[in-house]
Amino acid sequence: MTKITTENYVAEARKAIKNQVLQRALADLQHRFGRGTAECYRRLPEGPGLRLKAHEIRMKTVENLDVVLETLAANIRKNGGQVFFAKDGQAAVNYCLEIAQRHKVRRVVKGKSMVSEEIDLNDALIDSGIDVSETDLGEYIIQLAGETPSHIIAPAIHKTRDEVGSLFADKLDIPYENDPPRLTWIARKALREKFLAADMGTSGCNIACAETGHITTVSNEGNIRMSTTLPRVHIAIMGMERVAARLEDHDMLLRLLCRGAAAQNMATYVSYIGGPRSAHQADGPQEFHLVVLDNGRSRILADEQFREILCCIRCAACLNVCPVYAKIGGHSYGYAYCGPVGAVVTPLLVGINRAKDLCLGETLCGACQDICPVNINLPRMLLALRAKLAEGDTAWGVTPADRKEKFLFQAWSWMIRNRGLYDVAVKLAAMGQKLLTLKGGMIRRLPPPVHAWTKERDIRPLAAESFISRWKKGIR
Amino acid sequence: MSTTNQEEFINRIKMALGKPFAESRQKADLFSREMSAETRAILARIKNRTAEDRKKLLETFTEAAGSIHLTVRTCVDIAAVAAAIAEVVRHKDPEWGDKKRVVAWQHPLIESLNLPDALSEQGVPVFFSDVKAPERENLRQHVIDSYIGVTSADFCMADTATLVMRTRPGQARSVSLVPAIHIAVVELNRIIADLKELYALLKWDPQESKEGLTNCMTFISGPSKTADIEATMVHGAHGPREVHVFVIKHPGP
Repeated sequence: MTKITTENYVAEARKAIKNQVLQRALADLQHRFGRGTAECYRRLPEGPGLRLKAHEIRMKTVENLDVVLETLAANIRKNGGQVFFAKDGQAAVNYCLEIAQRHKVRRVVKGKSMVSEEIDLNDALIDSGIDVSETDLGEYIIQLAGETPSHIIAPAIHKTRDEVGSLFADKLDIPYENDPPRLTWIARKALREKFLAADMGTSGCNIACAETGHITTVSNEGNIRMSTTLPRVHIAIMGMERVAARLEDHDMLLRLLCRGAAAQNMATYVSYIGGPRSAHQADGPQEFHLVVLDNGRSRILADEQFREILCCIRCAACLNVCPVYAKIGGHSYGYAYCGPVGAVVTPLLVGINRAKDLCLGETLCGACQDICPVNINLPRMLLALRAKLAEGDTAWGVTPADRKEKFLFQAWSWMIRNRGLYDVAVKLAAMGQKLLTLKGGMIRRLPPPVHAWTKERDIRPLAAESFISRWKKGIR
Repeated sequence: MSTTNQEEFINRIKMALGKPFAESRQKADLFSREMSAETRAILARIKNRTAEDRKKLLETFTEAAGSIHLTVRTCVDIAAVAAAIAEVVRHKDPEWGDKKRVVAWQHPLIESLNLPDALSEQGVPVFFSDVKAPERENLRQHVIDSYIGVTSADFCMADTATLVMRTRPGQARSVSLVPAIHIAVVELNRIIADLKELYALLKWDPQESKEGLTNCMTFISGPSKTADIEATMVHGAHGPREVHVFVIKHPGP
């Protein structure tokens, strides 16, 4: 993720909709994961209602984040780990570079982490002459192709087996083949060498545990275990909200995370990492660093309208049910976070005006909230963002996105509150519409200034006689 | 180097939450200081578990294992496990290179298998993850060279067919990770129902909580897998391609 390209949302979305391969992959993804996850919630002993309890726990943590983070840091230091609090992406990147330099690191293996995409860690490491390998199979494919992830959990969902086969043949200098098990084995072999040669491993953190002083990593492939076990140094980077206070909170959070992420009861690997190896241990990193990242999150925390988004545990369940994501794919969102969560969190992180199309593009259908393992009210926050775009907002530095629209709605509101005026307007419109061509009983194109309405859809014409006039005539 | 950073950072959060700087709040509400009635009941349930209950849990474990490609076999005693491992060694080929080698934990149960003897007939050497200094340094090369890693586990969670392993000297984490095949040997009395029981034990059981989570606690549920290419499920992405669990039914009285 090198550039923020949220401004290209509409153009990228158009491209994605025309891409047949992507459309098939997205439909398949939603079919399998969307339904599977809902079914998983139903089978929970506590039922889908567990999501509401998890929301409470997450919210309580977020509202006491100062205490929870201080506890986490103290406990990790007690276990021999080092903790760095980074105000922004630059501070986090600088800290990682400093550690890499201190340890004369030449090769880094990376476990999948969205927060490292957010702060653009890869490029910074590469620019300082370090060899960086993504190790999640999907991320590895994306890295070889020089692209960015298009899904939080399945980053290479937009690539076919043929494309991966050609890519591997080209980049790894091997004969072409396109069988997924063979391709996986080729990557297994190439990355095993990377794991064994790496000096430093980086990872994200799914949900830390404050009272014990551990971060957690969750994966199916085992790449994160490799990255955090074999190299001399391990740096974990976490968004400051990715923590739970108590160990028992992990019971429901972990179960819900696995179900939300991949419709699984449990991921293959979950690791609690609390510090470097001890004196008599034969493996594990000699140094363990945790970087806690703010990067705009405290600003979100300060706004009670949006605080709730910090409950998010980045499982990507909302992507798998969103009708908009299903059509436009992840790249259209133009930042590390896509889908409904991206539509809320990206504007808050990169600027509401800059990423306005993201929240305007969602349908507000509510599927994202229904599938969210921690029941985050995403539609409410999408509306709140839209309200800021309509009205402007000084605290967030938002300028009204479309003054013409605002003016039109003000005029409309004034008109519908004046009975006589309204009746005249309806009569005029009913007469005026006779000039428009109909197709299949629908108006294809409206004239300016409302022409945009019919750009992507048709509209039903007004009835020949209004309800109110029929009512007055006594037709019931 | 980071204390001032931390202060600024935490103060920003306090400001965001609208809390006065010096306000000291009750942590008791956030971090449970006393065992809840629910936890007490969980611990009692674990303590009073009968052989029959464990057998039922093993059935749940085996059922959950089926859907994640985890092989579970029940053996009557140590000797039967050693023989079963020898069979696995005989029938499986190394993934990298052609020499068969096995690496194992230095752990009472694993050592009692006497694997070096059981595998000597096939001429397969067994390396142990040593606690002592010069040998300890060789572990990395041993796990790279070995195609099978043998460990035990602290707990088996029936609900999800999960092995829970803490890290201790002699019980290196790479033994269950780098070799292509992972074999775990456990006694039936290490079986528990679910995460709730695990966390209750780790936090409140006098014996287990003394050690806590250790610096690395890993859950393993089946072999490594990926579905990153056209959503096709493939086992053996980076971690072991196969995981076998041998459960010893009658470890003694």
